[in-house]
Amino acid sequence: MCIIDVHTHPVCFREGRSRAAVDALVARGRALGIERMVALGDVLAFSRSQTAAQVALINDETALLLRWHPDYFVGFCYLNPTLGERAVGREVARAVGRGFRGLKLEIANNARAACMRPVMAAAEVHGLVVLQHAWSMTKIKQRAFHTDPEDVATLARRFPNVRIIMAHLTGCGVRGVLAAKSCENLWVDTSGAAPETGLMEYAVEKLGAGRVLYGSDLPVRDLPVAIARVTGSALDAATQRKILRDNARALLQLP
Amino acid sequence: MTLFDANTWIGRWPFAFLPAHDARSLVEHLHRHGIRRALVSPLDAVFAPEPGPANRALLRATRGIAALVPVPVINLALANWREELAACAADPRVIAVRVLPNYHNYRLTSRVADELVGELQRRRRRLIVQVRLVDERHEYFALRIKGVPTKAMGTFLARHPQLPVLAMGMYRPEIRELLPRHPRLLADLSLAEWERTVADLLARVSPRQLVFGSHTPFLITAAEVAKLTAAGVPARVATRIATGNLQRFLGE
Ligand SMILES: [Zn+2]
Repeated sequence: MCIIDVHTHPVCFREGRSRAAVDALVARGRALGIERMVALGDVLAFSRSQTAAQVALINDETALLLRWHPDYFVGFCYLNPTLGERAVGREVARAVGRGFRGLKLEIANNARAACMRPVMAAAEVHGLVVLQHAWSMTKIKQRAFHTDPEDVATLARRFPNVRIIMAHLTGCGVRGVLAAKSCENLWVDTSGAAPETGLMEYAVEKLGAGRVLYGSDLPVRDLPVAIARVTGSALDAATQRKILRDNARALLQLP
Repeated sequence: MTLFDANTWIGRWPFAFLPAHDARSLVEHLHRHGIRRALVSPLDAVFAPEPGPANRALLRATRGIAALVPVPVINLALANWREELAACAADPRVIAVRVLPNYHNYRLTSRVADELVGELQRRRRRLIVQVRLVDERHEYFALRIKGVPTKAMGTFLARHPQLPVLAMGMYRPEIRELLPRHPRLLADLSLAEWERTVADLLARVSPRQLVFGSHTPFLITAAEVAKLTAAGVPARVATRIATGNLQRFLGE
């Protein structure tokens, strides 16, 4: 099995930073057939809205993973858009210099917020993929900074030339799939909450096999469990292969 | 690995596109995933005005199917719960009953829960507490059903320190908090997850307290099976979690 995991946090809540821990993670990933992992950074390391220095530290840690295992990790640059255009520009420039392939947005702001404009402009200029945290937040009244699937769809429509991954299929649910459907520049990753039956098949039915990407949300989720969401679904082998690897390879232009 | 599943359901769930299993289709589905036996409860008992009809249907549907151990649902908020328990316990296959306090509007710390314990001990039946059925964040928007609070669970267990209780659907932090303090409490793995779930839990919890539960059809059975079969823990420990602990709980 050849797998690309588009959603991992090898360093999470300050754990997993040592060389030994990272080497062990790579060995475990390889043993499970995971050939590449997209490292998104320790995105909630200090708070939901991190300072410029904290953002830089988080991305330095991702860069270190890439230095240790350049053929394994794909770097995404974590950003706090509320820090403003200059701070965003500085961090994106560093990320591009380091060979990062994407930008990661968490819960500093809602994806509809005006502060996303420079982020998306930078993504377009540098051809970076944007991975946006998302969850159907009907039950959690925090939409000021939490992003609903509908908000990601709004973002995707505002910036049609940027390729966007909506995180957490299981968190976004049926409602999220439907919100994403009409946006051709929007993909969804398979992570989020417990492995609910039927959502994978539903996402493929509505979005097509090409717009679903395997993502685990490691270490919040268990890798064999995350993989079995796909392999244990009713989807045929060719579709599973697309979700587990081919779609991510094309989107991230990996060899 | 032979699996004895502590947590499965038949019937329809209105809030997600889940397969509505009957007893036969459930057994076939479980067998395809290497699950040889399972405790099964009726989803129709969750929101029905009273669980009696669903329990009766469960007992009928599972008759002659040795792979399924029927676990009726008892609703302690209703005046007939003792009669319902007696009716269910008349069937010798009923070794345990399941309660869903937060779906049925009573607290686990209320006196009626203690009365149930007395009744169950008298009848030599086991107690299963459903802490939650789904992630609260994903409930239907108009429902407000939280999990059974860890504190209430702890209070109840402290009142009955010798009582074996099986809790379903606890999250990882809840398991890590409650199980070390309550050695007779068992928990299924269904809604607990972290990288290397089983090994992670075993760092805090005795291997005698965890049981395999797929929570079929809510969760992808293959994924829940992988949580244990790919856990990389010693075979002796995995076997306990796969079958042994549940058998012991049921008095087999
Ligand atoms: Zn994540």
